[in-house]
Amino acid sequence: MSLLAFAFRNVARNRRRSLLTGGVVAFGFAAFALAGGFMAQSLEGLREGTIRNGIGHLQIARAEEFRGGGDATLEHGLTRVPEIERILRADAEVVEVLPRIEFVGLVSNGNRSVPFLGSGVHPTRETRTMDLPRVLAAGRWLEGREERGVVLGAGLAAALSVGADDTVTLLATTADGTLNAVDAHVTGLADIPIRELSERFLATSIGLADELLSASGRVSRVVVVLGSVSDSRAAGERLDARLRQAGFELEVRTWEDLAVFYRQVRLLYLGIFGFLGAVLVAVVLLATANTMTMAVAERTREVGILRALGTRPRRILGMFLAEGAWLGALGCAAGALLSLLLTAILNRSGIELPAPPGATHGMLLHVRVYVAAYASGALAMLATLLLASFLPARRASRMTIVEALAHV
Amino acid sequence: MVLRSPAPPLIQGQRLSRVYALGAARVPALREVDLSIQRADFVVLCGPSGSGKTTLINLLGLLDRPDHGTLLVGGREVAGLDENARSDLRRDRFGFVFQTFSLVPVLSAAENVELPMTLRKLARPARRERARSLLARVGLQGKDAVRPDLLSGGERQRVAVARALASDPEVVFADEPTANLDSRGAGEILDLMRELNAERQVAFVVATHDPRVVERARRVILIEDGRIVRET
Repeated sequence: MSLLAFAFRNVARNRRRSLLTGGVVAFGFAAFALAGGFMAQSLEGLREGTIRNGIGHLQIARAEEFRGGGDATLEHGLTRVPEIERILRADAEVVEVLPRIEFVGLVSNGNRSVPFLGSGVHPTRETRTMDLPRVLAAGRWLEGREERGVVLGAGLAAALSVGADDTVTLLATTADGTLNAVDAHVTGLADIPIRELSERFLATSIGLADELLSASGRVSRVVVVLGSVSDSRAAGERLDARLRQAGFELEVRTWEDLAVFYRQVRLLYLGIFGFLGAVLVAVVLLATANTMTMAVAERTREVGILRALGTRPRRILGMFLAEGAWLGALGCAAGALLSLLLTAILNRSGIELPAPPGATHGMLLHVRVYVAAYASGALAMLATLLLASFLPARRASRMTIVEALAHV
Repeated sequence: MVLRSPAPPLIQGQRLSRVYALGAARVPALREVDLSIQRADFVVLCGPSGSGKTTLINLLGLLDRPDHGTLLVGGREVAGLDENARSDLRRDRFGFVFQTFSLVPVLSAAENVELPMTLRKLARPARRERARSLLARVGLQGKDAVRPDLLSGGERQRVAVARALASDPEVVFADEPTANLDSRGAGEILDLMRELNAERQVAFVVATHDPRVVERARRVILIEDGRIVRET
């Protein structure tokens, strides 16, 4: 009989204890799988949101623009934009190119002026690749690159007491340092989930922004949308090389370089997940170590007999480790089923999580079946069971035969 | 004429001593015992409880190490062998029958008999066949698949005897093999061991204080206070 088959029979020998231990492992595994699935879902949502809410996969600008701190509007702006676009679009991975003018100013309803963070965008291109045009709280998105309209963050609109179809005045400093103002009608209100941004957000057509800032075709940066998120860095390096080859001294940054909030949240999640994982492992370790210690104590005489018959100490060690591995494997299998069941229940429950700090609304609880979380849960539980089995198993393998045979 | 040196004893113990520590006290369990086991011997170690019978069996069967003295197995000194080598020697040359509860409860009768052969990595069909044949030889035909808890005490000891013979050993050590059996069961086990001893030329070393065993022995060694006091 093989070591594994023998170990399985020993696990089945004390069914109640094995069921309890397997239950502990199953719950430990399920906690890993569910927490990992929730974290993965949240991070994926945040990542996609980060990319599709404006950052894109890559951004191209002068290094000084990325560093910020310029004295004048568009001081470090890009020229020869059509040429840059042509180079970028030649890459098969590039899905869309979005030139943008980033600027600050004041928006006024005639009675009150509020500072804003403005973005002059190409409306139709943005509609094709970004989420913002699709998540308006009211009104409509901008329609053409010359439209004299603005989309305001809902918070900013509330501060100004304006809504869709109202008219506002934008004031900003032009590229040559003079103050300029244009009138624009409010086409829609954007549903920005982060409160501080909602109170400052303003989007307008790139044509109106160019006119307001006297940009003369310059833009602050070019946002690139790729077909896949996974190869952003490689695509960035490739595009950087092509731009340099064409004589452009620009910097290419990936969404990960730019998404500071995403990185912070990811680190926070990893910290929380790591801490929870350590607690789970400790609980499972204590529970299963007790089981394995009892198993060895109960079978001391049997160990003596096996040793007397010529079983080597290492095989005794392997026998108890194999029992731990069986408990781990069976517990993980049960845990996987439990996780799938709980995932289905939670995803259908419609539970809404409260809004995180700085956000305007919460989100529905959704747990993803995340294979990596299942795999790491299984690895953690198996490693824990082997660790829990090791000390009792080693003690069994090192027992003197005479002492073991004399055990009652 | 060719002169051949006689074969060495299967086991030869010289001045074997064993002292157990009980707290601060040191209790001598065996004192400078000399003993040889020859092929096809049927040796009974008898004496009162605590006289050192089990200690001597443990030393001769490589289950324990002497504090002093020399032990040769097949003419080879075993003191320097590590645990693995001692395990292999037990597996290949010795069989054991213990007092009670010596079967592995999760294995069937046949699987218990197969155990030493599994350790020797014998192919499964050969193991199965030999286990079936040994069980039949000890009178347990048809009980191959029965678990130990469903066997009587006598039947369990028969399985243990079959297991002891599984790897075709040179010596079978039996420590009080009849202690928990009724007189009929004890008699049957003793008869079985004697038959196997004669039939297979396997040496048996039996520790007992059961007079029924002593009556059936060819060679009886009386031990008292850790010393051999008489051999007949």
